[in-house]
Amino acid sequence: MTSDARSEVILSAHGLELVREGVRLLHDISLDIRRGSITLVLGHNGAGKTLLLNALHGLIDIQSGSIDAPPLPHQKMVFQKPIITRRTTRQHFQFICRDLDANEAGEWIKRAGIADRIDAPARALSGGEQQKLALVGALAAQPDILFLDEPTAHLDFAATKFVEGMIREAHEAGTTIVMTSHNRAQSERLGEDVLLLDGGRLVEAAPADRFFSAPQHPLAKQYLDHL
Amino acid sequence: MDILNPFQIALSLLFSGDAELMSIIGLSLSVSLTAVVTSLVIGLPLGAILAAYRFPGRTPLIVISNTFLGMPPVVIGLLIYLLISRAGPLGFMGILYTPAAMMLAQTVLVLPISIALSRQAFESLNAEYAPLFQSLGLGRTARISALVFEARAVLMTIALACFGRAISEVGAVMIVGGNIRHSTRVMTTSIALATSMGELAFAMALGIVLLLVAFAVNIASQLLRNSFRNLGHDV
Repeated sequence: MTSDARSEVILSAHGLELVREGVRLLHDISLDIRRGSITLVLGHNGAGKTLLLNALHGLIDIQSGSIDAPPLPHQKMVFQKPIITRRTTRQHFQFICRDLDANEAGEWIKRAGIADRIDAPARALSGGEQQKLALVGALAAQPDILFLDEPTAHLDFAATKFVEGMIREAHEAGTTIVMTSHNRAQSERLGEDVLLLDGGRLVEAAPADRFFSAPQHPLAKQYLDHL
Repeated sequence: MDILNPFQIALSLLFSGDAELMSIIGLSLSVSLTAVVTSLVIGLPLGAILAAYRFPGRTPLIVISNTFLGMPPVVIGLLIYLLISRAGPLGFMGILYTPAAMMLAQTVLVLPISIALSRQAFESLNAEYAPLFQSLGLGRTARISALVFEARAVLMTIALACFGRAISEVGAVMIVGGNIRHSTRVMTTSIALATSMGELAFAMALGIVLLLVAFAVNIASQLLRNSFRNLGHDV
């Protein structure tokens, strides 16, 4: 992907507001996501990271503001706790990625390293295996933009390495990645851009190298001190 | 009277393949199974819609279906009778005192069960799957189909509950079927008639068959439950 293409904006949000039961959860958030970039959404628990991802992906209705993004069929999302259907691994994969035939599905499942569990109930897979299944199911659809909500939370080192490898591969193929993480090392390894949320507000948006070396906002400095 | 005598006669009737007994058993099963299948075909999508969508009139629909859950079968029989009797709005169909009328009555009887129980099952599954379905961009029909498929293990239990209610019901089928020999006589109405006529052996034979049917259905459901449990169903 050329540098011109990478500077193009694929998703743009303006003035996002989300209120639930009288509580303002997202405050006037405006942001741009560059095409082909990996953007890390950071923040403490309850900062609004998952809500922001859900709003950008169109899963929740916002009270005000606008989102300009590729249509839903060109987006995919992997949830922090994978939502797994009551089917076999193969059937689940074909449910979440409907355009592939049985052979192609088998190849992707093989890439996830769970080919030996292809006819096992998907819900009987381990947490790490379910996360891999969800990730390859999303990547196989070759989305323009992929949202990942803490994709390596609760995963061991080997599974984390696998997931990060798949993320890099998708990034090299031109997929735009927007992900949340609580892991500073991972954020520094993968992130090109960083969005820092605090209490539902976007407090800093910066290139990752500048964010980690010279954060501008006092809350960003405080956050990195705690990370 | 020796209490064991009816059991012995019942068993000999069963094993001899008594023609009248077999025709009663066959009619009972066909009427009840048809009613269950019809109520599931209508009730499951309704349950899924009530669980997955909010729309005007949803709450009254839930209240009405829940009210019918406790409706006595004889009252349902009476309502169906009024509908299909010669002077009723559906009198032109001419189905009073036929198996079709009994199927209709049993369908109305078990439909609230299939709606209410499936709505509860679909509500918890919908809460679990809604983000995934939304993310996949599933339309209304695909979403409901997927919910029904995911709920298949629970739906089996609902089907069993409906079948149990239908096969054991007596009041409604007596009113709209008339308990006519060789035509609309089913196991429950036969038991009532035979008992009143003192034919306890015949009544007991039918009672034993009802128990055996319940036993067979439960064995089948247990086998199905085991296979569903292997796919991660909470049954």
